Amino acid sequence: MLRALGRFGPAGWRRMDGFQKLLLLSLVLLSVFMLLPVVYIFNHAFKPYHELFVYPPTFFVREPSLQNVNELASVASRSTVPMVRYLFNSVFVSALAVALVTGVSALCAYPLSKHRFPGAGIVFAAILLTLMFAPEVVQIPRYLVVSELGIMNTYFAHLFPLMAMPIGVFLLKQFVDQIPDSLLEAARIDGASEFVVFARIALPVCMPAVATVAILAFQNAWGNVETSALFMLDDEMKSFAFFLSTLTNNLANNVAMQGAAAVASLIMFVPNLVVFVVLQSKVIATMAHSGIK
Amino acid sequence: MASISIRHLYKRYGKDRQTVVNDFHLDIKDKEFLVFVGPSGCGKSTTLRMIAGLEEITEGQVYIGDRLVNDLPPKDRDIAMVFQNYALYPNMSVYENIAFGLRLRKQPRHEIDLAVRRAARVLEIESYLNRKPKELSGGQRQRVALGRAIVRNPSVFLMDEPLSNLDAKLRVQMRMELIKLHKTLGATFIYVTHDQIEAMTMADRIVVMKDGVIQQIDTPEAVYTSPSNTFVASFIGSPGINFIKGKITEDAGGNLLFETNRFSLPVPKEAANVLRRHNKTNRQVTLGIRPEHVGPEGLYSDCVFTAVYKVSELMGADRFLHLDIGQDRLLVARVDAYYRCENNESLRIVLDMSKALFFDADSGARLT
Repeated sequence: MLRALGRFGPAGWRRMDGFQKLLLLSLVLLSVFMLLPVVYIFNHAFKPYHELFVYPPTFFVREPSLQNVNELASVASRSTVPMVRYLFNSVFVSALAVALVTGVSALCAYPLSKHRFPGAGIVFAAILLTLMFAPEVVQIPRYLVVSELGIMNTYFAHLFPLMAMPIGVFLLKQFVDQIPDSLLEAARIDGASEFVVFARIALPVCMPAVATVAILAFQNAWGNVETSALFMLDDEMKSFAFFLSTLTNNLANNVAMQGAAAVASLIMFVPNLVVFVVLQSKVIATMAHSGIK
Repeated sequence: MASISIRHLYKRYGKDRQTVVNDFHLDIKDKEFLVFVGPSGCGKSTTLRMIAGLEEITEGQVYIGDRLVNDLPPKDRDIAMVFQNYALYPNMSVYENIAFGLRLRKQPRHEIDLAVRRAARVLEIESYLNRKPKELSGGQRQRVALGRAIVRNPSVFLMDEPLSNLDAKLRVQMRMELIKLHKTLGATFIYVTHDQIEAMTMADRIVVMKDGVIQQIDTPEAVYTSPSNTFVASFIGSPGINFIKGKITEDAGGNLLFETNRFSLPVPKEAANVLRRHNKTNRQVTLGIRPEHVGPEGLYSDCVFTAVYKVSELMGADRFLHLDIGQDRLLVARVDAYYRCENNESLRIVLDMSKALFFDADSGARLT
């Protein structure tokens, strides 16, 4: 980060031509703009009620208070299922989903990219095709599948719909394509079985793509309310995201609970931020850095 | 250690069954250093990959030692391979790269350590065993790739253009080291290259290939002095051999002459006998002569003709003169470096006709 900034220091600025300066300025403005919601979420969570509904709305909090946190705590204590249970469900499902999605996507992408088998092209095209369906379209078929499988109201129903992530397969396949065949052949001659070649050679080289898929899978699973709404019958099986959505949804446009909702969105957002910050260094490391070429 | 027998090997690709390797038949002796050489796309790499087990064999058999290996996976063939782009595992240190094959074979830890350190000592890479491949230069990476091959002590080494990515000076140095390595290891080496100099300097025997077909299998010396056809003659040697098209005629005394529009040269007795046997009198032939057998007048007074000097290349000890002999053909002569001449100067040139080779004008096969 510092090194990157150093490049844009006074010396770097002088070396840039007009277009580069313009580009840099607009990129800085764009990133500030992209940062606004994040700053807003943090500020909003600590606004007392009279600030939440002030007109014109304020961006920054003036009198920070923990009023909203207390409200959320009291709501949680009043609900039949403890909030910790929702949190556990979400953390458990998200962690498993990340592991499963990356595993399944990699296991799918590797043979599609590095093994010639009849129908490989059709399989890959079919996977890409599923990217084009709107989520609403698959809700009913998905419900039928889950119910026929008899996994309603279990963690499997949380996980199965998330497990197949076409964009993950696509990302990983594009990355595996770049691995030189000779690297895998060298491992085979060294005596590696196909699984060892995959796990010890191909997967570590693909870490940037694996990290990207992991971030996407986490966001997908953590913010997921669909499986809770459709497949979970008991409240104690539902996710944290679902619980938070119920805070405000039932009280359409009401003033009540807005403070709790503000804190809740902060709680929802923080894990995403943490996962992204932890994995982003891996995402940036590209093929060029890995010493293959 | 192992000899290798390749029996009528074929490789065909794709729907139209395009033949990439055509009837490759060869016996490789134990501890031999064999080089496959040819232009790109001649099937040399494909052949090597079939021996390695990385490519399916369409037809034919490969034996390593006494074992038929057609259906054995690469790891069971007792081979090691070095790739052009080194193919080092980027996520592992140099030590782990070298140890990987041994670890997969479940050798005891102390044996692995011993073997890795021994290989590192031989290749002089001990000081960077803990580095990652990306922190190494091309030459160092190549040594690690060699280390990974020798540590397993295989009976056959397969090398696919291992020096192509190195700079010229390093290539010369690595060439010598490979020869030394071959002597110390006492294993069979099969080496693929498109560089005829690598083939000439390292090989016990050279296999020259073109369009999937073996053109000649012989020692470097024999391939150079007695090429089997015009392709081999032109591929081996730098600068390339000179070809002159002409006609064989007989003079009043019954001696054969090689005639072009510009000059006629006497054909030596032995060559003449062979040409007669092939019934080439009054027929077109191609004469091949290496630059070192072309020179300024003085040696063989009966083989003199004139040529126009165009360009010269100084190589240090030698100088190559490019001479115009008409019909838009340039003749290259190797002379001493101190030799000087003017632009477009007419020179009296002689050929050492005893070293001249005669090829069939149509098929390109060598006659004498």
